[in-house]
Amino acid sequence: MVEDEKFFAWLDGELSPEEAARVEADVATDARLSRLADEHRAMTSGLRHAFGAIEARPVPDRLRIAIDRDEKVVSLAEARAVRAARKAPPVWAQMAALAATLAFGVFAGNAMSGMFTAGPSSPIEAEAGRLVASANLENALYAQLASAPVESGPRVGLTFRDKSGAICRTFEEQAASGLACREGGDWRIRSLFQAPEGQSTDYRMASGPDPQLMEAVDASIDGEPFDAAEEKAAAERGWK
Amino acid sequence: MRSSDAFENELTQLLPRLRRFAHTLSRHGADADDLTQATIERALRSRHQWQPGTRLDSWLYRIMRNLWIDTARARVRKEKHEAPEEEAQWIGEDPRDAIDASLELKRAMSAMERLPDEQREVVALILVEGFGYREVSEMLDLPIGTVSSRLVRGRTALLQLLGGTADG
Repeated sequence: MVEDEKFFAWLDGELSPEEAARVEADVATDARLSRLADEHRAMTSGLRHAFGAIEARPVPDRLRIAIDRDEKVVSLAEARAVRAARKAPPVWAQMAALAATLAFGVFAGNAMSGMFTAGPSSPIEAEAGRLVASANLENALYAQLASAPVESGPRVGLTFRDKSGAICRTFEEQAASGLACREGGDWRIRSLFQAPEGQSTDYRMASGPDPQLMEAVDASIDGEPFDAAEEKAAAERGWK
Repeated sequence: MRSSDAFENELTQLLPRLRRFAHTLSRHGADADDLTQATIERALRSRHQWQPGTRLDSWLYRIMRNLWIDTARARVRKEKHEAPEEEAQWIGEDPRDAIDASLELKRAMSAMERLPDEQREVVALILVEGFGYREVSEMLDLPIGTVSSRLVRGRTALLQLLGGTADG
């Protein structure tokens, strides 16, 4: 007579070869145990087959997004580490910041040919001397939740509160990414970075958010980026 | 490549298996995906606690099992204060279940749900997920004899519920 636990351990391949041989011999001469072994093998195989259907199915988007969202937060943490590593910004960084400011002037003045000139495809426009989101980007910033991304058009990434208390959101456009903050009922553009050469048509395949953008976020963020629930609540309050 | 990419890539690759384990523990598909999402979020927040070189799958299963225990307890407390639910009511409650869950899967989930939690997790990990007794005893912090005796009781009850053949 084989005790239950040993019988099942044998069935599951958990016994040493010597023990397994002994149980196997006992089962072979016992019709009741042989039948029980067959029934349990069939039951286990049916169970694996039933739940195996789950593994074969496509993973819902929201689960992949939960991982992608985090990648952005991690990038922010890495941007912080980079900032912490260089205690004082080197001259080139100050130059880069200055260059960014100058570039805004160029966009606002509409002196540059290409995708940032005012027009239906531009993500920004000048309004009373300030750079604000154009209609298309504004709609995305106002309505889109990062937890429910869209198939086309601008994509919103992180949402957070800046040190002045305004809500800010990062976005990725086809050719650019940037940071916009809610000011006086508009989405005011705080930073804008052109996508690296060659990535402009395929920005979703780009390897994560622009490090410059993450540094811009880190420079203005107060606390941590919003999680999905905080983002949703902020949207319901009209980003106030 | 950043070190965090490797973690996230591996996590993404394990998603189908994590969902399967979630389905063995949960009452229906929507609960299972909620549990999977909570597991991903917890894993990403606690990633510094995972030791590279050790098995990521066991670590994730353990997180999922602990979250499930917590939510299962909360659910039991909640249901005690609510009117008892008809057992068949949940079938087809989530439209996704009606569309894509096979009858076979529903039967399997409903049979698993009848097992006490401590038997269900052992059956799920060993019979469905294919872990060994030793791995499960480490994952659940249980003596191997306890794992083995819970498995005997759980699978014996399942045989009664499901029968010994895949179709019957």
